[in-house]
Amino acid sequence: MDDIEAELKIDSPGNETTNQEIIKNPLHIEAPSKYYETGFHRSSRKCLKVIRDAMLHHNWQKAAEYFTSYIQTLEDTTVTSAHLTRDVIWRLGAEILHHLANASIDDFNAVYEIMKHAGVSNYAKICLEHAFHLLLNGQSDEAKRQLSSASHWRYGKLTDAQSLEMKLIHAYCGFLDYFIWSNKISTTPETEDVSSLQEISMYFRQASVTLQEIITRPGIWDPFVLSYITMLEHNNSLDEALKVLQNYAYNKDFPSNPNAHVYLYQFLKRHNAPQSALISSLRILHSAVPSHKLMLEFCSLLLKKHQDTALKEALCACMDLLEFSSWKCDRDAWKCLLKILQRPKNEHNMVKEEWAVRRSLWMAFHFRPYIIKTESQKDVRLWRIKERVLKLLGEDLHIEDTRKSPSGQRDRHHNASEDNVDGDSRRGPARNSNSSFKRDESKAAREGNAAGLRDRLTDFTHRKRPINTLNSTGQLVPVGFIPDV
Amino acid sequence: MDEYLTDGYSEPCAQCAAVDWGVSVEEQFFCKKCHNVIERTIDMVGECSLYSNHSKISYIARPKNTAMEFPQDWMVCEGFQFVLKQQADALVSLGVCLQFKTDVMWNFWKRYLQNTRQAFVNNPVSAAGFSADLNSESKSKPESVAFCEESFLIGAPSEAEKPASGCSNKRRSGSLDASLYVKGRKSRNVMTMPRTLALCYLALLWVREAITLADLLRLVKERCVPYLNIHEYIPKDMRIYGQDSKIFRVDSIPSYSTVHKEAVELAKVIKLPAFPTVSQDCLLHPIPLTVRYLLESNLPDGLLVWVHKVIDEASMGDDSFLTFDPVKQKPALVCYDIQAAAVIIVTMKLLFKLDDRVEWTSSWKAASEKKKKVFNVERWYKVMQPAFERARQKMEREEARQLWKSHEPFITSLKDKSLVFKKRRVVNHLQHRFQKLTDSTPEQQCFTTTAFSSFQFHWGRDDGSYGRSLHQHRLNCTFKKKGVKRLTNRKFWHTVLSVCPPTCSDHFSEIEASLPRMYVWLLDLFSFLLGVSQAQVHKEVLNIERRFLKRKRPPVPKSTQRPSVTKKTPRPSATKKTPRPSATKKTPRPSATKSTPHQSATERTLRPRKITKA
Repeated sequence: MDDIEAELKIDSPGNETTNQEIIKNPLHIEAPSKYYETGFHRSSRKCLKVIRDAMLHHNWQKAAEYFTSYIQTLEDTTVTSAHLTRDVIWRLGAEILHHLANASIDDFNAVYEIMKHAGVSNYAKICLEHAFHLLLNGQSDEAKRQLSSASHWRYGKLTDAQSLEMKLIHAYCGFLDYFIWSNKISTTPETEDVSSLQEISMYFRQASVTLQEIITRPGIWDPFVLSYITMLEHNNSLDEALKVLQNYAYNKDFPSNPNAHVYLYQFLKRHNAPQSALISSLRILHSAVPSHKLMLEFCSLLLKKHQDTALKEALCACMDLLEFSSWKCDRDAWKCLLKILQRPKNEHNMVKEEWAVRRSLWMAFHFRPYIIKTESQKDVRLWRIKERVLKLLGEDLHIEDTRKSPSGQRDRHHNASEDNVDGDSRRGPARNSNSSFKRDESKAAREGNAAGLRDRLTDFTHRKRPINTLNSTGQLVPVGFIPDV
Repeated sequence: MDEYLTDGYSEPCAQCAAVDWGVSVEEQFFCKKCHNVIERTIDMVGECSLYSNHSKISYIARPKNTAMEFPQDWMVCEGFQFVLKQQADALVSLGVCLQFKTDVMWNFWKRYLQNTRQAFVNNPVSAAGFSADLNSESKSKPESVAFCEESFLIGAPSEAEKPASGCSNKRRSGSLDASLYVKGRKSRNVMTMPRTLALCYLALLWVREAITLADLLRLVKERCVPYLNIHEYIPKDMRIYGQDSKIFRVDSIPSYSTVHKEAVELAKVIKLPAFPTVSQDCLLHPIPLTVRYLLESNLPDGLLVWVHKVIDEASMGDDSFLTFDPVKQKPALVCYDIQAAAVIIVTMKLLFKLDDRVEWTSSWKAASEKKKKVFNVERWYKVMQPAFERARQKMEREEARQLWKSHEPFITSLKDKSLVFKKRRVVNHLQHRFQKLTDSTPEQQCFTTTAFSSFQFHWGRDDGSYGRSLHQHRLNCTFKKKGVKRLTNRKFWHTVLSVCPPTCSDHFSEIEASLPRMYVWLLDLFSFLLGVSQAQVHKEVLNIERRFLKRKRPPVPKSTQRPSVTKKTPRPSATKKTPRPSATKKTPRPSATKSTPHQSATERTLRPRKITKA
């Protein structure tokens, strides 16, 4: 622990300086040293500082009080960055209102409206945020109204300058159309009323036109794509949907987006596409995100193919998956690996090759004595699977001994005290979880010959605590030791 | 579709008495029955709610005020005349004698106008000539215009011919000569907003009122004297517009030193004669003024005796030293308030040394004697420090929440007009919203409601006092030895006393770190009370120490056994002192807590003087 703290202390000033470099203060909170400051500016600077501190301490009432005084900076005649001031006031105001207990939705609407028209250089952004806020409060109709009125907003060059935001407004407009459409579809099924059908089809048309347009532009449009696909599926135009998804996934102009492949795969699966298509879509996903949960499906799909190459691919994918710490204790993943290893074909060589590469990591990552012990106590089923996997991989651990060792606790204590006696203060125990092995080794090295190591080894085995093991080439390798790469 | 616009309006129509309103294409309300179009303005609350209803109308009714449509022609000095009148009125209402306004202010202003040849002369200059040499003889003779409200209102410029170049067709309204005034701003003759305060200060000084410059600035800050948003006080038919805003807009309260400098300058411009003498009965004299600051800073009354001694020794009670005389070669206007504070600091240094050691050890000694009513520095500090901190935080809060902008914005040009009004509306709406949520009133209103007090701290047992009073505590800073009273503190320290050339800036920031903390804290306290910088107080302390240590002493009588010791009596009814030639002697400071080489070299010790019994 000491070492970690020491490291943090060393690192922390460095981090701060880099942060300070990154965060540039456009609005000064500290007193300027070089130029003369008017009383008005000093007041607003101090006020901003108080507001910031109050907000950081979640003292929203105080922040609101001071914000009331801070609003006057909008009328500053000398400041060159009036745009920035408006932005700050809008953000502060929205944030404070958000946390004030007695603020109503009317207050929100009023403040957003005022700030929208206060300086039109931020119009689109504030409109978007206003709509989001309304959506959060469940007022989707109002949000729709906001967005559609905002999408018709024109203000000369200022509209062009906010083209990105305008595009987003457009997109969300379509999205809300879809939202309303899907709500109507689900609430009024199989209606015969012509007018309501017309209304539904109108929303459908609006949404599909907007969404179709928006998702052809490069970008990440996940919710929009999904909703468009749902609409196309509803309309039974599957080819079109497939085209859209393929474009979204494979178009080089678009930024790489793993979700695109997931959506494509899900779509294919929904519509019973051939196995090879499924596999190829997942293969790309595997190269992008090897830890994705669809990798299990990928493995099982590959296993169905009964080919050596497919089997090897499955083995690789599964092992890749297990190398991520989030999958480390996942029983299904281990089961999948077991299934692959249990294949009765003559893939023995293949497994050996793969294992030789990964062995050192896996022994440290999955089969450290400590992990073995905790797992064998807590999650016996998982441990059973792991044990079998290990056996199939050709490893041999004296697991039973460990599990049944009645003096495990005492041994650990003994070991710990030995560590302390060893007293290599440069390496704290927490710095590297397997440092005890390193220490053993270094001590052995200090003793000058391998005989010392072997003696200690026998000592350990005498204590029924198998820490070292023989690897396939017959060398002594301490378990859990990660060789320097 | 118009329903939501006309919703809140349920007045019956004037012609057919029906309540059925619509909104026309010109966004005017009309009766749907008889098609009667009415003038309808949307009041404040209605407008607020309109924002939330997303309606786009904003209806501005044209004011029908003829005065606004045909604003009078006026000149900048007329505007300043109004400002001065308002300020004088405010001061009179605060209790300054009426003479101040009727005689002194008015005469000063008249002299100013004469001397700058803006009015009351036979050949007034146009504004372009502001920078002209003042020494050119003005044939003006002071006219004995009896002061009355009318003359103040109509004022001088009606007599002055209007500068032809000043008014052009482009001018929408506003003063006639603003642009020329702005051009000539660099010259020392033109009136500026800080100079109005300087003029007020000079007039106060003339009538020997007890308002010091620090007080005046505090009055301005607390809005008891109009200075911020002055255009609200100027009558409607004198519309401030365009360039005028550069002259009359104020976005900070001038500092003490600025106003002080301006006052000296202005006295020269007005060619004032010597001021009435500042004698002991005048409250600006250091003796009454130090009483005030001793009260304020909760120091015992016994200290006053020693303060008197220091004032005497430094020969500061002198009328000629205290009285301001602009006729002199180098007119010096004493900063009375800072000086009084500095005298107290020097006295404290003399009695308690203030080197972060002696004052505490003596305090511990005094505390060990268990006499309750004996003053000691530690106890004083413990009472004073929290109160000081509280007051400082209060001031910070007030400063952060101070409102600077008025409800009637300045309009600099026609182009900006709509923008300025729009900003004002936005600010109004937002403030309205947030005030409702927080139930807070802006600080501006708090200022005007609270009564002004010349004391910032109150000591005693009453409610709202900052702590218990130490005024009655006895000073115990002398001891008797061989029938002679001596000061317990035997040493005196000071920083370099040599006078820097005027080009040199103050060195306080450089030496601040090496000074004893207690001394810096004391500077801090008094600079807070006066609203000046620490460096200014420190500078004044140095001035007094210079005077105090370089005082002339008659030669030592031969009978004196120990020539290095002079007498000093604890009472004002002092016996004649036995001076000596070298009162100061260089010795290294024994207890240098933070002495830098630079400081210890210049360190001197002042031997406490022997006291003979009367």
